[in-house]
Amino acid sequence: MHEVSIATSLLKIAVDNCKKEGYKGIELIKVKIGRASGIMPDALSFAFDAVKIGTIAEKATLAIDEIPVSGFCEGCKNSFTVEEAFVISCPQCGDISIRVETGHELHIYEMDVF
Amino acid sequence: MKVKVVTHILEANDRIAAENRKLFHESGVYVINLMSAPGAGKTSCIERTIKELSSKLKIGVIEGDIAGTDDAKRIAKLGIPVVQINTGGACHLDANMINEVLVDLPLKTLDLLIIENVGNLVCPAEFRVGEDMKVMLLSIAEGDDKPLKYPLMFQESSALLLNKVDLLPYTNASIEKIKKNSLSLNPKLKIFEVSCKTGEGINKWVEWLQSLIK
Repeated sequence: MHEVSIATSLLKIAVDNCKKEGYKGIELIKVKIGRASGIMPDALSFAFDAVKIGTIAEKATLAIDEIPVSGFCEGCKNSFTVEEAFVISCPQCGDISIRVETGHELHIYEMDVF
Repeated sequence: MKVKVVTHILEANDRIAAENRKLFHESGVYVINLMSAPGAGKTSCIERTIKELSSKLKIGVIEGDIAGTDDAKRIAKLGIPVVQINTGGACHLDANMINEVLVDLPLKTLDLLIIENVGNLVCPAEFRVGEDMKVMLLSIAEGDDKPLKYPLMFQESSALLLNKVDLLPYTNASIEKIKKNSLSLNPKLKIFEVSCKTGEGINKWVEWLQSLIK
Protein backbone atom coordinates (compact mmCIF):
# COMPACT_ATOMS: atom_id res chain seq x y z
CA MET A 1 0.00 0.00 0.00
CA HIS A 2 0.99 3.68 -0.10
CA GLU A 3 2.88 3.37 -3.36
CA VAL A 4 2.21 7.06 -4.11
CA SER A 5 3.72 8.22 -0.82
CA ILE A 6 6.63 5.79 -1.30
CA ALA A 7 7.15 7.09 -4.86
CA THR A 8 7.05 10.68 -3.58
CA SER A 9 9.60 9.86 -0.84
CA LEU A 10 12.00 8.09 -3.17
CA LEU A 11 11.71 10.88 -5.73
CA LYS A 12 12.55 13.45 -3.03
CA ILE A 13 15.60 11.45 -1.90
CA ALA A 14 16.81 11.14 -5.52
CA VAL A 15 16.21 14.79 -6.43
CA ASP A 16 17.75 16.12 -3.18
CA ASN A 17 20.88 13.97 -3.68
CA CYS A 18 21.12 15.07 -7.31
CA LYS A 19 20.82 18.78 -6.54
CA LYS A 20 23.22 18.55 -3.60
CA GLU A 21 25.93 17.14 -5.91
CA GLY A 22 25.18 19.71 -8.64
CA TYR A 23 23.73 17.36 -11.27
CA LYS A 24 21.10 18.53 -13.74
CA GLY A 25 18.97 15.47 -14.31
CA ILE A 26 18.28 11.82 -13.51
CA GLU A 27 18.03 9.06 -16.12
CA LEU A 28 17.65 5.98 -13.94
CA ILE A 29 16.82 5.23 -10.31
CA LYS A 30 17.47 1.74 -8.94
CA VAL A 31 15.49 0.55 -5.92
CA LYS A 32 15.35 -2.68 -3.94
CA ILE A 33 11.85 -3.69 -2.92
CA GLY A 34 11.45 -6.78 -0.76
CA ARG A 35 8.45 -9.06 -1.42
CA ALA A 36 7.44 -8.70 2.25
CA SER A 37 7.55 -4.91 2.19
CA GLY A 38 3.90 -4.64 1.16
CA ILE A 39 4.80 -2.54 -1.88
CA MET A 40 3.60 -3.76 -5.28
CA PRO A 41 6.24 -3.06 -7.98
CA ASP A 42 3.70 -2.34 -10.74
CA ALA A 43 1.81 0.11 -8.57
CA LEU A 44 5.08 1.75 -7.53
CA SER A 45 6.15 2.21 -11.19
CA PHE A 46 2.76 3.65 -12.03
CA ALA A 47 2.90 6.06 -9.09
CA PHE A 48 6.50 7.06 -9.89
CA ASP A 49 5.60 7.90 -13.49
CA ALA A 50 2.87 10.18 -12.18
CA VAL A 51 4.86 12.03 -9.50
CA LYS A 52 8.10 12.52 -11.53
CA ILE A 53 6.43 14.93 -14.01
CA GLY A 54 7.80 18.47 -13.71
CA THR A 55 10.92 17.41 -11.79
CA ILE A 56 14.55 16.77 -12.82
CA ALA A 57 13.62 13.08 -12.80
CA GLU A 58 10.95 13.59 -15.46
CA LYS A 59 12.71 11.36 -18.00
CA ALA A 60 13.97 8.83 -15.44
CA THR A 61 13.21 5.12 -15.50
CA LEU A 62 12.60 3.32 -12.23
CA ALA A 63 14.40 -0.04 -12.10
CA ILE A 64 12.93 -2.25 -9.37
CA ASP A 65 15.02 -5.10 -7.99
CA GLU A 66 12.50 -7.40 -6.28
CA ILE A 67 14.04 -9.21 -3.32
CA PRO A 68 12.48 -12.56 -2.28
CA VAL A 69 11.79 -13.55 1.32
CA SER A 70 14.58 -15.75 2.64
CA GLY A 71 15.95 -16.76 6.00
CA PHE A 72 17.32 -19.40 8.32
CA CYS A 73 15.52 -22.06 10.38
CA GLU A 74 16.82 -22.67 13.92
CA GLY A 75 14.95 -25.98 13.92
CA CYS A 76 16.47 -27.87 10.99
CA LYS A 77 19.45 -25.49 10.57
CA ASN A 78 18.69 -24.91 6.87
CA SER A 79 18.40 -21.73 4.85
CA PHE A 80 15.21 -21.20 2.90
CA THR A 81 13.76 -18.95 0.21
CA VAL A 82 10.03 -18.72 -0.50
CA GLU A 83 7.87 -17.36 -3.31
CA GLU A 84 5.27 -15.91 -0.95
CA ALA A 85 5.32 -12.46 0.60
CA PHE A 86 4.88 -13.89 4.08
CA VAL A 87 6.37 -16.82 5.97
CA ILE A 88 5.57 -17.98 9.50
CA SER A 89 7.21 -21.40 9.55
CA CYS A 90 10.10 -23.20 7.89
CA PRO A 91 8.98 -24.54 4.48
CA GLN A 92 11.19 -27.61 5.02
CA CYS A 93 10.42 -28.74 8.58
CA GLY A 94 7.49 -26.54 9.71
CA ASP A 95 9.32 -25.10 12.77
CA ILE A 96 8.33 -21.54 13.73
CA SER A 97 11.81 -20.66 15.06
CA ILE A 98 12.82 -18.92 11.87
CA ARG A 99 14.88 -15.81 11.24
CA VAL A 100 13.79 -13.84 8.17
CA GLU A 101 16.84 -12.23 6.62
CA THR A 102 15.68 -10.71 3.32
CA GLY A 103 12.38 -9.53 1.93
CA HIS A 104 11.73 -6.32 3.84
CA GLU A 105 13.97 -4.05 1.77
CA LEU A 106 12.62 -0.66 0.77
CA HIS A 107 15.53 1.41 -0.43
CA ILE A 108 17.00 3.43 -3.21
CA TYR A 109 20.57 2.37 -3.93
CA GLU A 110 21.88 3.90 -7.16
CA MET A 111 21.10 6.54 -9.78
CA ASP A 112 22.31 7.40 -13.29
CA VAL A 113 22.64 11.18 -13.49
CA PHE A 114 23.99 13.85 -15.82
CA MET B 1 27.27 8.73 -14.47
CA LYS B 2 26.44 6.40 -11.60
CA VAL B 3 25.79 7.74 -8.13
CA LYS B 4 25.43 5.48 -5.11
CA VAL B 5 22.64 6.63 -2.80
CA VAL B 6 21.69 3.79 -0.41
CA THR B 7 18.90 5.33 1.63
CA HIS B 8 15.87 3.65 3.14
CA ILE B 9 12.83 5.18 1.47
CA LEU B 10 10.99 5.65 4.76
CA GLU B 11 14.09 7.22 6.31
CA ALA B 12 12.32 10.56 6.77
CA ASN B 13 9.50 8.98 8.81
CA ASP B 14 11.89 6.88 10.88
CA ARG B 15 14.11 9.88 11.57
CA ILE B 16 11.15 11.87 12.92
CA ALA B 17 9.98 8.81 14.89
CA ALA B 18 13.42 8.71 16.54
CA GLU B 19 13.13 12.43 17.39
CA ASN B 20 9.70 11.81 18.93
CA ARG B 21 11.07 8.89 20.93
CA LYS B 22 13.95 11.02 22.26
CA LEU B 23 11.50 13.73 23.34
CA PHE B 24 9.26 11.15 25.07
CA HIS B 25 12.22 9.69 26.98
CA GLU B 26 13.48 13.10 28.02
CA SER B 27 9.98 13.93 29.28
CA GLY B 28 9.68 10.58 31.13
CA VAL B 29 6.50 9.52 29.32
CA TYR B 30 5.67 5.96 28.24
CA VAL B 31 3.94 5.86 24.87
CA ILE B 32 1.63 3.23 23.40
CA ASN B 33 0.33 3.16 19.83
CA LEU B 34 -3.16 1.58 19.94
CA MET B 35 -4.38 0.02 16.68
CA SER B 36 -7.38 -1.98 15.50
CA ALA B 37 -10.04 -2.23 12.81
CA PRO B 38 -12.75 0.48 12.95
CA GLY B 39 -15.24 -0.21 15.73
CA ALA B 40 -13.21 -2.79 17.66
CA GLY B 41 -13.28 -0.61 20.77
CA LYS B 42 -10.09 1.48 20.94
CA THR B 43 -11.73 4.56 22.43
CA SER B 44 -13.71 2.47 24.92
CA CYS B 45 -10.48 0.73 25.91
CA ILE B 46 -8.81 4.10 26.49
CA GLU B 47 -11.78 5.28 28.58
CA ARG B 48 -11.56 2.12 30.73
CA THR B 49 -7.78 2.44 31.09
CA ILE B 50 -8.13 6.07 32.17
CA LYS B 51 -10.83 5.20 34.74
CA GLU B 52 -8.60 2.52 36.29
CA LEU B 53 -5.29 4.37 36.18
CA SER B 54 -5.86 8.13 36.29
CA SER B 55 -5.64 8.22 40.09
CA LYS B 56 -2.18 6.63 39.87
CA LEU B 57 -0.74 7.99 36.60
CA LYS B 58 -0.97 11.24 34.62
CA ILE B 59 -2.35 10.21 31.23
CA GLY B 60 -2.55 12.08 27.92
CA VAL B 61 -4.15 10.98 24.64
CA ILE B 62 -3.65 11.70 20.95
CA GLU B 63 -6.70 10.75 18.86
CA GLY B 64 -6.28 9.95 15.16
CA ASP B 65 -9.22 9.89 12.74
CA ILE B 66 -9.74 10.76 9.10
CA ALA B 67 -12.38 13.26 10.16
CA GLY B 68 -14.42 14.27 13.19
CA THR B 69 -13.71 14.96 16.85
CA ASP B 70 -16.06 12.50 18.58
CA ASP B 71 -13.25 10.46 20.11
CA ALA B 72 -11.40 13.49 21.51
CA LYS B 73 -14.66 14.77 23.02
CA ARG B 74 -15.18 11.46 24.83
CA ILE B 75 -11.69 11.62 26.33
CA ALA B 76 -11.96 15.33 27.20
CA LYS B 77 -15.07 14.50 29.31
CA LEU B 78 -12.76 12.49 31.59
CA GLY B 79 -10.62 15.58 32.25
CA ILE B 80 -7.62 14.18 30.40
CA PRO B 81 -5.37 16.29 28.11
CA VAL B 82 -6.23 15.20 24.57
CA VAL B 83 -5.41 16.32 21.01
CA GLN B 84 -7.39 15.24 17.92
CA ILE B 85 -5.52 14.71 14.63
CA ASN B 86 -7.65 14.68 11.48
CA THR B 87 -5.63 13.13 8.67
CA GLY B 88 -8.03 14.31 5.98
CA GLY B 89 -7.66 11.03 4.10
CA ALA B 90 -4.47 9.31 5.25
CA CYS B 91 -5.27 5.83 6.55
CA HIS B 92 -2.69 5.79 9.35
CA LEU B 93 -0.80 8.15 11.63
CA ASP B 94 2.84 8.82 10.78
CA ALA B 95 5.72 10.23 12.80
CA ASN B 96 5.37 13.72 11.38
CA MET B 97 1.67 14.01 12.31
CA ILE B 98 2.53 13.05 15.90
CA ASN B 99 5.51 15.39 15.98
CA GLU B 100 3.34 18.37 15.02
CA VAL B 101 0.89 17.96 17.94
CA LEU B 102 3.37 17.24 20.74
CA VAL B 103 3.62 20.95 21.45
CA ASP B 104 -0.10 20.88 22.42
CA LEU B 105 0.40 18.33 25.22
CA PRO B 106 1.95 18.85 28.70
CA LEU B 107 4.45 16.05 28.00
CA LYS B 108 6.72 16.73 30.98
CA THR B 109 3.82 16.18 33.39
CA LEU B 110 2.62 12.94 31.77
CA ASP B 111 3.48 9.35 32.76
CA LEU B 112 1.54 7.66 29.94
CA LEU B 113 0.59 8.83 26.46
CA ILE B 114 -1.89 6.73 24.47
CA ILE B 115 -1.98 7.31 20.72
CA GLU B 116 -5.23 6.02 19.21
CA ASN B 117 -4.42 5.27 15.58
CA VAL B 118 -6.85 5.45 12.66
CA GLY B 119 -9.13 2.40 12.55
CA ASN B 120 -7.36 0.11 10.08
CA LEU B 121 -5.97 -3.46 10.35
CA VAL B 122 -3.33 -2.92 7.66
CA CYS B 123 -1.34 0.32 7.48
CA PRO B 124 -0.72 1.51 11.06
CA ALA B 125 1.51 -1.51 11.65
CA GLU B 126 3.89 -0.30 8.93
CA PHE B 127 4.70 3.10 10.46
CA ARG B 128 6.73 3.92 13.52
CA VAL B 129 5.71 7.10 15.31
CA GLY B 130 8.15 6.94 18.24
CA GLU B 131 6.12 4.72 20.55
CA ASP B 132 7.48 2.37 23.24
CA MET B 133 5.10 -0.33 22.11
CA LYS B 134 2.27 -1.11 19.71
CA VAL B 135 -0.88 -2.60 21.20
CA MET B 136 -3.73 -3.95 19.13
CA LEU B 137 -7.37 -4.66 19.77
CA LEU B 138 -9.38 -7.37 18.07
CA SER B 139 -13.06 -7.69 18.85
CA ILE B 140 -14.73 -11.12 19.02
CA ALA B 141 -17.35 -9.89 16.56
CA GLU B 142 -14.71 -9.52 13.81
CA GLY B 143 -14.23 -13.27 13.58
CA ASP B 144 -11.46 -15.69 14.57
CA ASP B 145 -9.82 -15.77 11.12
CA LYS B 146 -8.29 -12.30 11.38
CA PRO B 147 -4.78 -13.16 12.70
CA LEU B 148 -3.82 -15.18 9.63
CA LYS B 149 -5.43 -12.64 7.29
CA TYR B 150 -3.65 -9.60 8.78
CA PRO B 151 -0.36 -11.01 10.03
CA LEU B 152 1.76 -7.85 10.22
CA MET B 153 -0.49 -6.15 12.76
CA PHE B 154 -0.20 -9.18 15.08
CA GLN B 155 3.54 -9.49 14.54
CA GLU B 156 4.28 -5.84 15.28
CA SER B 157 2.23 -5.65 18.49
CA SER B 158 3.47 -6.42 21.99
CA ALA B 159 -0.04 -6.95 23.36
CA LEU B 160 -3.41 -8.02 21.99
CA LEU B 161 -6.66 -7.09 23.72
CA LEU B 162 -9.42 -9.51 22.71
CA ASN B 163 -12.40 -7.23 23.24
CA LYS B 164 -16.17 -7.74 23.47
CA VAL B 165 -15.88 -11.16 25.17
CA ASP B 166 -19.40 -10.46 26.49
CA LEU B 167 -20.57 -11.17 22.91
CA LEU B 168 -19.11 -14.71 22.82
CA PRO B 169 -22.48 -16.43 23.31
CA TYR B 170 -23.79 -14.64 20.18
CA THR B 171 -20.93 -15.42 17.76
CA ASN B 172 -19.18 -18.48 16.34
CA ALA B 173 -15.76 -17.11 17.19
CA SER B 174 -13.29 -19.40 18.95
CA ILE B 175 -10.99 -17.66 21.45
CA GLU B 176 -8.67 -20.67 21.34
CA LYS B 177 -8.26 -20.35 17.57
CA ILE B 178 -7.51 -16.62 17.82
CA LYS B 179 -4.91 -17.23 20.54
CA LYS B 180 -3.29 -20.17 18.77
CA ASN B 181 -2.92 -18.33 15.46
CA SER B 182 -1.83 -15.05 17.04
CA LEU B 183 0.87 -16.80 19.07
CA SER B 184 2.08 -18.69 15.99
CA LEU B 185 2.69 -15.31 14.35
CA ASN B 186 4.16 -13.74 17.48
CA PRO B 187 5.08 -16.14 20.32
CA LYS B 188 5.83 -13.18 22.64
CA LEU B 189 2.39 -11.57 22.23
CA LYS B 190 0.66 -10.85 25.57
CA ILE B 191 -3.05 -11.62 25.19
CA PHE B 192 -5.80 -10.16 27.40
CA GLU B 193 -9.45 -11.22 27.14
CA VAL B 194 -11.54 -8.17 27.99
CA SER B 195 -14.85 -6.45 27.71
CA CYS B 196 -14.51 -2.69 27.67
CA LYS B 197 -18.29 -2.57 28.07
CA THR B 198 -18.60 -4.68 31.24
CA GLY B 199 -15.08 -4.20 32.56
CA GLU B 200 -14.29 -7.93 32.53
CA GLY B 201 -10.54 -8.65 32.35
CA ILE B 202 -9.54 -4.97 32.36
CA ASN B 203 -7.74 -5.28 35.70
CA LYS B 204 -5.17 -7.69 34.26
CA TRP B 205 -4.49 -5.34 31.31
CA VAL B 206 -3.99 -2.25 33.48
CA GLU B 207 -1.84 -4.15 36.01
CA TRP B 208 0.48 -5.26 33.22
CA LEU B 209 0.55 -1.79 31.67
CA GLN B 210 1.33 -0.21 35.02
CA SER B 211 4.19 -2.66 35.60
CA LEU B 212 5.80 -1.53 32.32
CA ILE B 213 5.55 2.14 33.20
CA LYS B 214 7.19 1.72 36.60
